[in-house]
Amino acid sequence: MTRGRAVNRPLVLPYAFIAPAVVLTAVFSLLPLGMLAYRSFFGGGVFATSLSFVGLGNYTAAFSQGGGHALEVTAIYTVGFVVLTMSLGLGVALLLDVKLPGMDRLRAPFIIPLVVPGVATALIWGNLFAPQFGFVNRTLTALGLHQANFTASPSLALLTILTFGTWQFFGENVILYLAALKALPVDIVEAASVDGAGPWSRFRHVRWPLLRRNTILIWVITTLTGLQTFTQIYVLTNGGPNGATTTALYYVYNEGFVQFNTGQADAMGMILFLVSLSVTVAQVGLVGRGARRDS
Amino acid sequence: MTARWRLGASHALVYALLAIAILVVVFPLVWMLGTAVKPNGQILDLRASLWPSHFEWGNIARAWDAAPFGRWFLNSVIFGVGATLGQIVTSLLAGYAFAMYDFPGKQVLFYVLLCGLMVPFTTIIVPVVQILADLHWLNTYQGLIVPNIQSALGAFLFRQFFLGLPYQLGEAARIDGASELEVFLRVYAPLARPVVAAFGMIAFLQNWNNFLYPLIVVNTTSMDLLSQGLSVFQTQFNVNYNLIMSAALIAVTPILLVAIAAQRQIVEGITLGAIQ
Repeated sequence: MTRGRAVNRPLVLPYAFIAPAVVLTAVFSLLPLGMLAYRSFFGGGVFATSLSFVGLGNYTAAFSQGGGHALEVTAIYTVGFVVLTMSLGLGVALLLDVKLPGMDRLRAPFIIPLVVPGVATALIWGNLFAPQFGFVNRTLTALGLHQANFTASPSLALLTILTFGTWQFFGENVILYLAALKALPVDIVEAASVDGAGPWSRFRHVRWPLLRRNTILIWVITTLTGLQTFTQIYVLTNGGPNGATTTALYYVYNEGFVQFNTGQADAMGMILFLVSLSVTVAQVGLVGRGARRDS
Repeated sequence: MTARWRLGASHALVYALLAIAILVVVFPLVWMLGTAVKPNGQILDLRASLWPSHFEWGNIARAWDAAPFGRWFLNSVIFGVGATLGQIVTSLLAGYAFAMYDFPGKQVLFYVLLCGLMVPFTTIIVPVVQILADLHWLNTYQGLIVPNIQSALGAFLFRQFFLGLPYQLGEAARIDGASELEVFLRVYAPLARPVVAAFGMIAFLQNWNNFLYPLIVVNTTSMDLLSQGLSVFQTQFNVNYNLIMSAALIAVTPILLVAIAAQRQIVEGITLGAIQ
């Protein structure tokens, strides 16, 4: 490649082109990260002028005051979210990949939940699962079953949020898996079907191994989406009841902007950042370094 | 004969499973519409049918009048369009320069962007608000927009795209005496149109639906975006489910129409966004 070997190599233009993106990234992404790391070891409020070093004080305080529980909730939610959205996404993508008439049109509905505002769908969800008069409870009554208070019961609230999050986001995995399936080498997949392999063994032994890299990538994207679920929780349960739906991110919001325990919010923000970072780093490790920087 | 019958049955099964999946996806929105136009008397009545006996379209007008929706839409458009245009411009420029030129410090500057890609915005919201407070940018449009007009992901997408274009394209124009800026504006930038459309569409949807960031940066009703304004409907209207669902309908409809029109770009953008 003769890339970048311009005869008349301009001096200023490249820097001028890059400056806005790099400066803004530095100021609104890297600087805050530095502040977050630094301030997580100091006491003092949001607008405090003097900070006092507290070592790991913010971290221990966060853990003793609900932060440990928030991490547990985050882990349960994210694992459930990843398993559900990935298996549903792959399942629907496999169905849409069957060569039958009209399939290209049937993809569209799965995009809908992705594009509508989370607040609006949260209001809908609140309505569907409302006590007594909601659709779900009226259906339960019609079936002769007991009603439940889905958003106010500690055992059901997280499950309600989980079904909601899955509904809203699994369409993304449908699209990603469908694109991956369409990109598979046709000859290999067809050779397998000529060999007389059934649908399951064709999937298990031919397509699934070929999808390995896509699956790792989708796993990373889905995990990050799961870790950052906020709107659904804010509108539907406010982190309650009794912290049952307080995830790490909701904890950061609540401590930082409602309770004004900035130190604890910073400590939890730092933990959340490190978790996100390890997920991304794990992707690099799983896919292999060579394949990553091929340009 | 049996083989054909089995094939037919398995095709029917594919359609049936997809029909169930689509029903699950669409049902909440159908329920929203049905509840939005329910007459008052049928909401808190367990004997009333689930679907309204007649459509009370006036509910939607009542919901619209109950809150400053016009202002919220305006704010959402200003934020959505402003942040998206900013992201497109900064990413296009940076992606182009990283792909096309060699210059001192390129590696380091590239790593800055790479690091930016590794920092989820949600984890740094507390210090970002502290920076905005220092700038006196809380409750302002610039506070909403400026921190959002960079996208490390966008810069990578455009870099990837320009790396795939032949370098010789620009040479012809250079021989004709075009400046580097003209080479970019006349030769390369127009070729990036499909990527601009796909990335722009995804960026716009993300900005339009962004909830957490505006929630912590603005806190007055007149500066609220549509989503922030909408979030208080729940507490304000309690069990007036038809008004709450009418408000949701008002928020859902415009963006759904945009998405239907730009379906292809959205699918492309989601697929593009999953870069490795």
